[in-house]
Amino acid sequence: MRTFRVMHRTEYTYGTAMSDGFTVARLLPRNTPLQTVRHAAIDVSPIPDEWEESLDPFGNRVVHFAVHHPHFSLTVVSHAEVGLDTGELPTGEVPWQHVAATAAAARGDLAADVAPFLAHTAQTPPLAAVGDLTGDIFTEGRGVIGAVQHLCNRIFTGFQFDASFSDLSTPMHAVLAERRGVCQDFAHVSCAALRSVGLPARYVSGYIETVPLPGEPKLVGVDASHAWCSVWAGEFGWIDFDPTNNQMPPLRHVTLGWGRDYDDVAPVRGVVIGPPSGQSLHVAVDVSEVF
Amino acid sequence: MTPAMDLHQYRAPQGGYDEAFDAAGEARPCWSVAKQAVGSMETSALLERQRDADRLLDAEGAGHLVHELAFERAIDRHGVSASARVESRPWRLDPLPFVIDAAEFAVLSNAAIQRMRLLEALLVDCAGERQLVRDGVLPAALLYSLPSFRAHTAGFAPPRWLVHYAVDVVRAADGRWRIVHDLTDAPSGLGYSLLNRAVLARLLPDGLRAAGAAPISAHADRLRRSLTASAPADRPSPRAVVLSSGPAHPTYVEHSYLATRLGYHLVEGADLVMREGRLWLRALDGLEPIDVVYRRVEDALLDPLEHGHQGGGSGVPGIVWGARSGHLALANAYGSGLAEARELRPYMGAIAERLLGDRLQLEQLEAGAALATMPVFTGLGDRVLEPRAVVLRLQVLNGPDGHFVMLGGAGRVLADGDAPEWPTAHLAKDVWVVGTTAPRPVAVMAPPQVDFGPSVPKRAADALYWLGRSAERAEVAVRAARVVGVQLDQDPMLTSVGDGGWALGAGALLAAARNEPVPVTPELPLNARLTASLQATVSVAAQQLASLVQEASSVREYLSKTTGRVLGRLAMAHNLLLDDDAPSDELDSVLVDLAALAGLVMESTVRGPAWRFLDLGRRIERALAVLGSVEGALGADAPPMALQPLADAVLAANESLVAYRRRYRSDVDLDALLDLLLRDDSNPRGLAFQLDRLREHVAALAWSQGVQLVQQASAAAIAEIDDAVVSGRRVSLDGYVLAVRGPLLALADAIGQHWFADPVNPTMMGGF
Repeated sequence: MRTFRVMHRTEYTYGTAMSDGFTVARLLPRNTPLQTVRHAAIDVSPIPDEWEESLDPFGNRVVHFAVHHPHFSLTVVSHAEVGLDTGELPTGEVPWQHVAATAAAARGDLAADVAPFLAHTAQTPPLAAVGDLTGDIFTEGRGVIGAVQHLCNRIFTGFQFDASFSDLSTPMHAVLAERRGVCQDFAHVSCAALRSVGLPARYVSGYIETVPLPGEPKLVGVDASHAWCSVWAGEFGWIDFDPTNNQMPPLRHVTLGWGRDYDDVAPVRGVVIGPPSGQSLHVAVDVSEVF
Repeated sequence: MTPAMDLHQYRAPQGGYDEAFDAAGEARPCWSVAKQAVGSMETSALLERQRDADRLLDAEGAGHLVHELAFERAIDRHGVSASARVESRPWRLDPLPFVIDAAEFAVLSNAAIQRMRLLEALLVDCAGERQLVRDGVLPAALLYSLPSFRAHTAGFAPPRWLVHYAVDVVRAADGRWRIVHDLTDAPSGLGYSLLNRAVLARLLPDGLRAAGAAPISAHADRLRRSLTASAPADRPSPRAVVLSSGPAHPTYVEHSYLATRLGYHLVEGADLVMREGRLWLRALDGLEPIDVVYRRVEDALLDPLEHGHQGGGSGVPGIVWGARSGHLALANAYGSGLAEARELRPYMGAIAERLLGDRLQLEQLEAGAALATMPVFTGLGDRVLEPRAVVLRLQVLNGPDGHFVMLGGAGRVLADGDAPEWPTAHLAKDVWVVGTTAPRPVAVMAPPQVDFGPSVPKRAADALYWLGRSAERAEVAVRAARVVGVQLDQDPMLTSVGDGGWALGAGALLAAARNEPVPVTPELPLNARLTASLQATVSVAAQQLASLVQEASSVREYLSKTTGRVLGRLAMAHNLLLDDDAPSDELDSVLVDLAALAGLVMESTVRGPAWRFLDLGRRIERALAVLGSVEGALGADAPPMALQPLADAVLAANESLVAYRRRYRSDVDLDALLDLLLRDDSNPRGLAFQLDRLREHVAALAWSQGVQLVQQASAAAIAEIDDAVVSGRRVSLDGYVLAVRGPLLALADAIGQHWFADPVNPTMMGGF
């Protein structure tokens, strides 16, 4: 097991004093079969007047906090230390259609916990262009692991990482048309593609290690939050893959949480009340391995 | 000659069900009731009834609130172009009611209650055990793809998901009733039903009584009790508000009407704030706790923290979390919009069997199905009564004594080709349930909510203040334009009198009425300049009328019913002022309406903080107007020939000419004139009188800054004015005006800063 430390700092500065600020933060990592959270905490400045922690419907850790006195800035810093086991791909295979059929016919807990990730949402719509992406991959009888690996590779090679192209409001059809975007876009495309063939897919929010290993290039997406995708592969359970870096399974990825799309798991969502003014946002993320 | 209307002129379509006539052409009993209630079926009589209905609806506020003002040119004081507002259409009320027999209505009513129970059970399950999903009755892939399914409501367990439910039903051509659609998010129509009935009760009092139609007015009280019952358990005397997204909402008329009927404050998102887990109203005296929100704001716009980037910044941040924690009740609960999703309709039968163990009493209307017809008075064409389909909206409450369906409703007439969900005809029928044997509802006293009498939301006080200012500004502009116009009409040679001194002074008087500096356009001849100035002043008056109506529409619940009628007239006057080239008659009638408005404000408005702010606005504006007119018309040292008509104009513009003549019976003497307009505290149009009222208001508000500023203005207002002239100006008069105006403008600023500054819309923080 390897140990990683994460620091994620978000700082909003307002042009004038805000009287109230409300924030929902999904910045505390959750435990997963491969990830053990040893320590996680959030520091907020100014000190919030209200604070409540809970779990959301997908089991992610959520903090609601609010500031009710005049403040010119809001700084949210999270620190976490997690232990990661390296995931390994299953050695066997199962036809993807079997998996899709199982998901479609799910009852009981499987229906309640897995089937929701079959749903197309506003951020992961069932566009025709998504079908172009999957058509020759999800062929009759093909194994689900191999097919997903193929999809991951196709997105990695077919799309260009371009932080200047998209932001949170860029719709998926633009990403598909221009073949450009960032990790959130590629995770959304992956989810939409898998769901369009009937495979449950999660959007995963998290981080990737900052410092490259000796002799390896620095990975993309290190200076901010990262996002990737997880597919439900029937008897093999959930298997993560990172289309931005063409890694399956991912190797140095710290998971915060998952949902149907970005909106389900936005790391920080906030609203302020105060006179109209400009605001600036500064984000810094640092992830490193502890030896 | 008006063709006599008789039943033979109405032709029901062949083969389909008609509410008036059966297949053999015999009149059905309910139709006979409707016919008798209306009395004469002469076209002219029906037209007259419809005109009366229009007028009565107008008086209830439906007129000015939805009036299609030519708002394109108007910019409100927040800098928002009014044309950006959603257009809401007024509707007309058919004088012929939709009469339903009690036995038949009972069938609909039972079906509506079953439907409400079903939707409540559906909401409980989707936020809780999700048994429907586990059993495969409702596919998870469908549920989780619906935008109206708020996944984060998982675990929500509000005491009641639905307090208020509405459902549209329609009779198909086969004679059987069907469900058209459900309204669970912020169901509309209850206020419209009450409004329509109030109008028909005035229109056909005898018919209504003779028909024995079940009364519906108690339904508003039942709604109040139901809302009270939905409050958190530890609030014996809960405070409730009606939450609206504001006058741009298509059903704002109803928000305003219901708030008035319920006696609740009508508030918008910025009036509320979540702190320490409680919801608070920003009132003039500070924050007041709120326990129940009757929300007319849909799920998607309720809380920007929940809807992320989709809903813009509107709503109340944190309100959903507060409701989840049980510190306040939302009626209906957040997430209720799921139940009306059309994607769920194909599953409703199976869901009913799974959750209620019951079959649906009414089936869903198939798309494109032929519908039953009934006679509708259109007032158009040869056949006065047209066969049209009418969709019936039923109102159901889940209150302290269970589910209850209002014995009546709103019938919405479909135009040709309308989808039953979206009627475009804007024609309504009041629904009468006759032959009911149900006992009259027993009035149950609800525990009173804490007295809100003295409390006023800041936003409402703000709007009332600007209502006062706009009304006064409109009057000043109209009066100035009229006075100068009349003088010019009577003596076109005035422009050359006193070397153009009269024209210069009159131009300056008009500019002051427009709140503009004196225009410097020497290239134009004086009379052309004056004509342009007159037109500009009239259009300023029109703008002020538009903002007056706009401000009034957001605080309708503070104004009397009759006020609504005057506002309707002013809304129409606004259009006329923009269109007419020579509106001097129109100007007179606007003055009459403005006087009526002022009178109603004085005579029909309870003296509280709401009235005080309205009157503050009016007094400040009038004080400024007196100063502006004196400075404009008399500040220049005009030749004696020009002085007399100018002095007349100033007196008339301040409606003090008659008073002056009665008192002095002489040609105008400048000192006497200034005395009457500036220092005489018995002249209700004079400066001194306005300052006295302002002094009373700021004292009553116990507002020290205001007291000081009014004192400064009053001190400056008793200064002497002498005859000194420098460079053609009466410098002493100029100095006097400056000294009084300064503190008055500061007072206007301070009012905004001190009393209204807080409520602002929330801003989303940037994401990444």
